[in-house]
Amino acid sequence: MSKPLDIVILGGGTAGWMTAAALVSLIPLSRCRVRLVESEEIGIVGVGEATFPEIKKFNDAIDIEEAEMMRATKAAFKLGIEFVDWGFKGSRYIHPFGAHGPPNMDHIFHHLWLRARSLGLTSQIDDYSFAAQAARNCRFEFPETRRPTLNSTYTYAYHFDAGLFGLFLRGLAEQRGAARTEGKVLEVILDPQSGQVRSLVLESGETISGDLFIDCSGFRSLLLGQALGVGWEDWSKWLPCDRALAVPSERDELSPYTRSTAMEAGWRWRIPLQHRTGNGYVFSSSFIEEGEAADSLLRSLDTKVLGEPRLLKFTTGRRTVGWEKNCVAVGLASGFFEPLESTSIYLIQIAIMNLVRLLPGKSIDPRLRDEFNRLMELQYERIRDFLILHYKLNGRDDSEIWRYCAAMDVPESLTSKIELFRHSAIIERYREGLFTPISWLSVFTGQGLMPESYSPFADAIPGDELISKLEELRAEIADRVDEMLPHDRFIQRYRAAEPVGVSVAAEAHL
Amino acid sequence: MNRRVQHVVVVGADAPAWMAAAALQRSLGGAGVRVRVIELPSLLQPVDAYSARPELAGFHHRLGLGEELLLGLCNAVPVTGQRFSNWSGGAPPFILGYDQPSPDEADLGFTQYWIKGRQKGLRTAFESFSLGAVAAKAGRVPLATERAELRSTFGYDLDARAYTALLRQFVISGGVEAKAASIGDVQLEDDRIAGLILADGERVEADLFVDASGSQAVLIGRMPDSEFHSWREWLPSDRMIVGSAKALRPHPAFSQISAFRHGWVGLFPLQDRTAIFAVYDSRQTSDQEVLDSLPLLAQLPIDGDAAISTLAPGIRERSWVGNCVAVGESAFSLEPLDAVQLHITHYCVSQLMALFPATAASFPEAELYNRIVRRVATNLRDLQLAHYKLNRRFDEPLWDHCRDHPVPGTLRRKLDAFAARGRIPLYDDDTVQEQGWESVFIGHGIIPQSYDPRVDAKPEPQQIAEVQDRMARIAELVGAMPPVDEFLSSSLRPGAAELANNG
Repeated sequence: MSKPLDIVILGGGTAGWMTAAALVSLIPLSRCRVRLVESEEIGIVGVGEATFPEIKKFNDAIDIEEAEMMRATKAAFKLGIEFVDWGFKGSRYIHPFGAHGPPNMDHIFHHLWLRARSLGLTSQIDDYSFAAQAARNCRFEFPETRRPTLNSTYTYAYHFDAGLFGLFLRGLAEQRGAARTEGKVLEVILDPQSGQVRSLVLESGETISGDLFIDCSGFRSLLLGQALGVGWEDWSKWLPCDRALAVPSERDELSPYTRSTAMEAGWRWRIPLQHRTGNGYVFSSSFIEEGEAADSLLRSLDTKVLGEPRLLKFTTGRRTVGWEKNCVAVGLASGFFEPLESTSIYLIQIAIMNLVRLLPGKSIDPRLRDEFNRLMELQYERIRDFLILHYKLNGRDDSEIWRYCAAMDVPESLTSKIELFRHSAIIERYREGLFTPISWLSVFTGQGLMPESYSPFADAIPGDELISKLEELRAEIADRVDEMLPHDRFIQRYRAAEPVGVSVAAEAHL
Repeated sequence: MNRRVQHVVVVGADAPAWMAAAALQRSLGGAGVRVRVIELPSLLQPVDAYSARPELAGFHHRLGLGEELLLGLCNAVPVTGQRFSNWSGGAPPFILGYDQPSPDEADLGFTQYWIKGRQKGLRTAFESFSLGAVAAKAGRVPLATERAELRSTFGYDLDARAYTALLRQFVISGGVEAKAASIGDVQLEDDRIAGLILADGERVEADLFVDASGSQAVLIGRMPDSEFHSWREWLPSDRMIVGSAKALRPHPAFSQISAFRHGWVGLFPLQDRTAIFAVYDSRQTSDQEVLDSLPLLAQLPIDGDAAISTLAPGIRERSWVGNCVAVGESAFSLEPLDAVQLHITHYCVSQLMALFPATAASFPEAELYNRIVRRVATNLRDLQLAHYKLNRRFDEPLWDHCRDHPVPGTLRRKLDAFAARGRIPLYDDDTVQEQGWESVFIGHGIIPQSYDPRVDAKPEPQQIAEVQDRMARIAELVGAMPPVDEFLSSSLRPGAAELANNG
C-alpha cells in the first residue's frame, strides 16, 4: 500500500479540532497521518456556541457519546431559535428544528393554515410546531424515531461552550492518533513550480511539511488567503454587521432555544448553557459606536454579568474557492457569516465531510477539488440568501440600519423567492443547502410576510372542518408537551450534566 | 384575494393529455376547478408502446388508478430494469436495475466498497450487486417486500393506445368534459391566450391552458419567447421506426436497448407482442435501409406495418408563458431512451400541481416552473447523452462523433466526479438517483480511479464477507420473487376488465 497522506492542519480552534477529530476517527492511520499546528498565544474566536441539528450526525459519525460530550461542554439541548422584535417591536416567533403540523404534512400544511387564517383564524404558524411549543414551555425529550407521531416531527441541536467542545475534540483526536505541534508559523513555503504549499516554518525553526494542508487559521486565512492569494467575495452590502461584543452572564432559565433580539444597530443573542448564559451583540460599526453598543448590551442582560465584553471584528463574505492547489480551508478561513442562524459549526462540519468524501491522494486530482468547491459554493450562497432574508424583511423603521436593510437591493435569487411566497405561499426546495422550506416559512411568516393567497387545493376542505381540525391539533400538541420533562430535569436525568448533590438522589427515585 | 383559476382547458392528444387532466381533476376538482379536454387527433399507431419508469406507479396511486388495470387492459409487462448491449465494442451487456436507495447507504454506499474490491481483484460485475439487475436477468418481479435491506421495484412496458384509452375513460368517468377537435386559431392578447377557435368554429376560453400536445406544441409554439432550441448537437438521432414482433416467451423482465451502426434498437416486451423501436440519424442512413435491416437488428421477424416518425430533442425557451403551460414533450423533447416518455409528462404535471397558480390575474409561478422544467430537462438529456458519449464503437461515423464531441458542463461534472471518486453530483430536479447514474457510467466502462478513504476503515476480511453476503442475500431475495409469467397470470384475475369498465 502507498504511504499515508500527510495532512497538516493549521489552527486549533473549533474548526481545527473538529477536522482533526473527524479525520483520525473516520480514516485509518494507514491512509492518513494528521498533525495539527497551533499556538496557545493565539486566541480562538470560539464561534458558534449554538449549533444546528446536523451536528448530531457529525458526532454520531465519529462516535461521540452524547451525554459525555454534553457533560464536557456544559451543553444544553436546543429546539430552535426565537426571534424577538424582528418583524416589529414586540413581535416574536420561533424558527423550530421541526415541521409544522402533523407528521408528513409539511409540504401542504401551511396552505391549509393560510386558508384557515383567511376564514378568520388568528393563530401563528409556530402554534402548530411541536418543537416550537416544547421550546416555549422549556420542555425537552428525544424525538420519536420509529413511527410518525406528533413528537416525531423534529430534531434537535445543542448549545455548548465552543472552547470546551474544542478541548473535548482535542482529547479525542489526540487519543485516536492526531499529533499536535505547539508553535507559531513564521513562514509558508510554496513549491516554486507547482505553487503548492510545501511546508510551514515555525518560530522554533521547525519545518512541518505535508501533502495536504487544512487552513483553520480563522479570519487571517494564512494559507488559502495569504499564501495562495485566493480572492475574497464581500457580502457586507447585504449583511452589514461587522462587529460582535460577547459577554457571559450568570445562568438563567435553561430555555431550549437560542434567542435573537433585534437591537438598534444589529441584534443580540442569548444562549443558555448549564453553567452560564452566553450573550452577544452583533452590530454594524457604520450604525453605532462600540462603546454605545457595549452599554446597550450590558443594560439588556437578564442576569449578572461575568466579565468584560470581548470585541470581535469581521467582514461577511467568503473566499472565492475553499480548495486551491493542496490547501483546503475549513471554518472562518473560508468565509464568515454572523451567527444569526447558528451556521458556523455547520459550515465547518459540511466542509469536513465533503473533504473526507473527496480526500485527494498525494497528487491533487482537480476533479475532486472542483466538486468540493461546487458543493461549498451552494452551501454558502444559500445560507447567505437565508440570512439576508431576516434583514430584508424587517418591519422596523425606528433606526437607520433597519431602514437601510428594508430598502436594500438583494440578490435576484432571493427577490424571486420572496415575491413568489408573497403571491402564492410557494417555497422552492433545493437539494444541497441547509435550510428547508420549513425554515423559510418560519422566517417569512414570523417577520410578517403573510402571503396574499395559498394553493387552491386547500379550498377543497370545508372551512369549519378545517378550523376545528387545527384547533384540535393545537390542543393535542399542548397536551403532549405537558407530558414532557422540564428541560433542566431532562438533562440531569440523562446524566448530561455533572451530578449536583440532592437532585440526582431525587431523580433516582423517580 | 384575486379571483381563482376556475376553468382549465387541456389541449392535447394521447396519454399526456389525459395524465394532465386526471391530475388536475383529482387535485383541484374538489376545490371547484373545472377541467375540459380538447382532444386532438391521436398520433399513436397500433404498434406504439410506452416504457414507464417505476415512479409512474406513485402517480397512479395518487389518482386511485389500480395497477391491475394496467395489467388487465394495457398489455403491460412489469420490467425491473433496462439492458444495454452493443454500446461498448466487445464489452458485455449491462443492466440498469430499478433499485430503491437504501437509507443506510446514503453517505457511504456499496459502490465505494465495490471500487476498492475491484482494485483488489474482484471481477464480479457491478450489476451483480444490484437486486433489480439480478431480478431482471432472472426474469423475476420484485413485489413490495417486507423490510428487506435491499429493495427494488419495477416499471411497465405498455401498449400506448390501450393506456391512453384507460386514462381517457378514467378521466371522463371522473366528470371531465372532453371534445374531439382540432385547433383552428389561437387568439393572443399580449402574452395571454384570449381564446382558441376550434376547427368547427367554437371559441374556447379558459383561465389557464395546458398544452399537452407533444411535439406539435399547438399552443406553446404560438406564445412569445418560447422558441425551440434543438439539442441535436448532442443527441443526433432524428428518425424513429416503431414495429412489432411476436411476444418473447417467457416474457423478459427488462427492456432491451442495443446500439447499432446508425443509432439504437429497443425491444419492449408486452403481453401479446414485442414493441420494436429503431432510433437513428437520417444523415447516416435511410428509412428504407433501417426498415430492411430491422429483423436483423431486433433478431426477430417483424409483423405487419411499421410506423415512421421524426424525433427532435430540444427544449422551449419557456414552457409556461402567460396563461399557457406546456407539460411533457411540448415543453421539452428527448429520445424514447431511459424510459422517459411518460416520465417527462409525469414530472411536468407534478410540478404544475405543486405550482398551480394562486390567482387567475397573474402567474408569477411560471418563472419557477420554467426553471424547474429546464433543470429536469437538462438532467434527463445528460443521462441520454451519457450513453452516446461513453460509447466504444470505433470507426463508425455517428459513434466516433458522439465520443469526441464535448458534452455540456452539467454532464462533464458528473463524469469527472464519478471517474475520480465514484461520486455522482446530483443536481436539483435530478429525477434519476445515484444508483441509476452509477449503473450507466460503470456499464459504459467508467471505473472510478479511487474510493472514499473511509472504506479502508473496515477490515478487509469483513469487506470480503459483506460482498459475499450481499450476493447471497440477492440470490435469496430473487429466488423468492415470482417469474414474470407467473406474476402476470396471478395478476390477471378474472374481473379486472369489468372493474375498469365500471370505473
